[in-house]
Amino acid sequence: MHMQLEFKDINYHYPGSTNQVFKNLTCAITTPGFHALFGPSGVGKTTLAKMISGEIGGFSGEISARKIHQILYAYNLERLPGWTSVQEHLTATTPGSNRGKIEELVTTFGLEPCMHSRFVQLSLGQQNRTNLARYLLQDFDLLIMDESLANVDEVTKENIILKMKAMFPHRCFLYISHNVVEVAKFCKQILILRSHHKTPQTVSISGQDYSNGMPPANKDLEHTMLEIVNAL
Amino acid sequence: MKRRLQIAGGLLVALFLILGLGSCSKKEQPLEEVSYRLKWLFNISVVGDLWADAYGNFERNGLKVTVKPGGPEKDAIKELEIGHAQFGVASADQVIRAVSKGSPIVVLAQLFQVNPLHWIYRPDKTPLKTPQDLKGRTIGITYGGNDETIMRALLAKYKIKEDEVKLFSVRYDYTPFYQGKVDLWPLYRNAQAPIIGEKLRKAGEKFDLLSPSKLGVQFVANSVVTTQKMLEERPETVKRFIKALLEAWREALDPENKDKAIETVLKYNPETSQEIVRKQLPATRILMLPEPNFEFGKIDVAAWKQTEQIMLAQKLIAGPVQIENRLILGGE
Amino acid sequence: MLYRRIYQFFIIYFIGLTVLFMIKYVLKLSDYVIPSPLEIWQTGQSVFFRYLINVLDTLSVAILGHILSICLATIVGIIGRLTLWIGSFIRVAAYNIQAYPIVAVAPIIFILLGDGLSSRLLITAMICYFPLLLSFLGILSEPVSEIEHFYEATMRMNWHLQVKIRAFENINKIITVIVGSGTLAMVGTIVSEFVAANAGIGHSIRIALYQSDLAKVLVALFLIGICTSLYLVSLEWLGLVVRKRLYSN
Repeated sequence: MHMQLEFKDINYHYPGSTNQVFKNLTCAITTPGFHALFGPSGVGKTTLAKMISGEIGGFSGEISARKIHQILYAYNLERLPGWTSVQEHLTATTPGSNRGKIEELVTTFGLEPCMHSRFVQLSLGQQNRTNLARYLLQDFDLLIMDESLANVDEVTKENIILKMKAMFPHRCFLYISHNVVEVAKFCKQILILRSHHKTPQTVSISGQDYSNGMPPANKDLEHTMLEIVNAL
Repeated sequence: MKRRLQIAGGLLVALFLILGLGSCSKKEQPLEEVSYRLKWLFNISVVGDLWADAYGNFERNGLKVTVKPGGPEKDAIKELEIGHAQFGVASADQVIRAVSKGSPIVVLAQLFQVNPLHWIYRPDKTPLKTPQDLKGRTIGITYGGNDETIMRALLAKYKIKEDEVKLFSVRYDYTPFYQGKVDLWPLYRNAQAPIIGEKLRKAGEKFDLLSPSKLGVQFVANSVVTTQKMLEERPETVKRFIKALLEAWREALDPENKDKAIETVLKYNPETSQEIVRKQLPATRILMLPEPNFEFGKIDVAAWKQTEQIMLAQKLIAGPVQIENRLILGGE
Repeated sequence: MLYRRIYQFFIIYFIGLTVLFMIKYVLKLSDYVIPSPLEIWQTGQSVFFRYLINVLDTLSVAILGHILSICLATIVGIIGRLTLWIGSFIRVAAYNIQAYPIVAVAPIIFILLGDGLSSRLLITAMICYFPLLLSFLGILSEPVSEIEHFYEATMRMNWHLQVKIRAFENINKIITVIVGSGTLAMVGTIVSEFVAANAGIGHSIRIALYQSDLAKVLVALFLIGICTSLYLVSLEWLGLVVRKRLYSN
């Protein structure tokens, strides 16, 4: 039995507001892999992500997780404490069993020049990569990445995603991004989140799930991108 | 004929009316406005000033006087110099200090003939037959205040060294005295002794008062002052003011007017009980009119000179000031 | 820093003196109302060392009281962040108690605790405690979610890490409020001495006022200004050292 994350009839509106965010939202992610949560700005992607991680409650319906015990939610505005260097922080916060992965991730993420620096001394891209790296070094079954690769150049981004897929083949990732191309190219399942006025509120599309070897053909990529855009 | 008589009568009435109105308007001359700053808050020690304010003594002498209460942060002499007041009440040490620093102040009348500053003590616990019995006692004084000056003068007069007594710094509360930590506590005989004495009496304790003046230390207290400029430029105003004021004081201290005087004090100072004011009034009278037929407000030149000497001896002034030159005798 | 503060104080002080002298000479006031420069100088010479000792006495009480307030405000601030209810209760209590006029409370404290160091220390601590407490409460109750989130999500958060994060992120605010309350500590000590104590420069000022000696008061104010400036500069320097150490460690 595979990992599964299922949403059944989720209804929710923000506290103190009558505007509904989710209306009878029903969908599922049924396998491990690198998946995407895609949609226009303000549609509720971060809200849904926080519901999955348990940071937001007060909704009706059910979110059930099978074979998913540890869910982590990472977002791009996070920071490391100001008194510690990147190296000190990674060493202090990585569980013993994962310490062996530090070097590999640091190399892939291009973080060697940052190791002795403090967070505030890093560029935005370096900051986002550092944040993502420390989450990847934790024990998790599902990692939700909310714009975690913003401000990272395309080449590095590709290296990172491919490395993640290679290092963690049996884990589940939910990648929140506004980039149609990368979502279409790298993701296995793309959950399109639409406004609550539309029925159904979510549409699931298969992505190209590019891992290693030959990248997807342009026409296949374009086809997926068109599907995504039409679904919005 | 009848008609002529009627016209003449009407003219006469008109004439009388005109003359009458004219004389009324002459009586309604505007009152001369002046300010009078007291030394302390409205209490028994200013009964005469309050009387003058309440019963028209100033108005009858052509003056509209604003009587302002004093307080710890107020200084009548400074206000006179700046021009915020034309008359004031200050103690002799204030006057002498001011004169030593070039202040153009003159003294018009002396209110207290005996300084109200005394020390309360328990004769059972602290028998004081002679001033030498002060040795070994804990004596309360306000550092920087009159009581410090008077006590030091007393000790010096009777050749008691400072290390032969314990001087205790006094603040607003009497707790150290009530607890017996301090043997002698300074207070104003007329204003505070009735209150403190009452408390001791209720506690079944006897008390007595140490009088520096009876022991030969004359230190003049509250006196009425003005500026030399005021005296030179507005002598009539000064004369009328002093006349009105002394008249009011005499009326307020007259035993026949005691109920009215008490009522006046209570009107301006509702915080003190009538029972206490009733005791304070005769205590005040005796300090201001030590003998029957005493001339109220008389300036005791010898006492002023002694006050200056005490201040000189304690280096509170840099040099002699000849204070007698600032005393305006025959004030009214 | 010290040099600038001192000469800024000198400028303010001498402007104040100049204004006083202008009033004196325009209104032709005697030395009793506003002393002459010569009198101030002579008085300064005669009371300088005595007043310096008094000011240092006051300053030492102020520093002790200030340290006490900082420690107490830190402890209460840490407790106050536990729950919303505790934090809000402490805040309301602080707002109300700090409104009590110290000139009314000080005599009562001296009656209860006597003349010694403890009364002056308590009053000093009370005066600078409340602004410190309200600032610390605010700082320590306000989550820094961008940093704390990782630790909460990975179950690594504990109370001392939380306090450390919030204090570090607001170190500039903390230093500013400590320096600012340093002045309050000095003011509080002087006021308490003025009202009810028998030592310190506040006591000396009270005596000078009884004697209507403004020259002594001006000398006292001069020494208070110099010593307070020195103290504030020391606090600012300490703040710089702390910041440097935190960022270079």
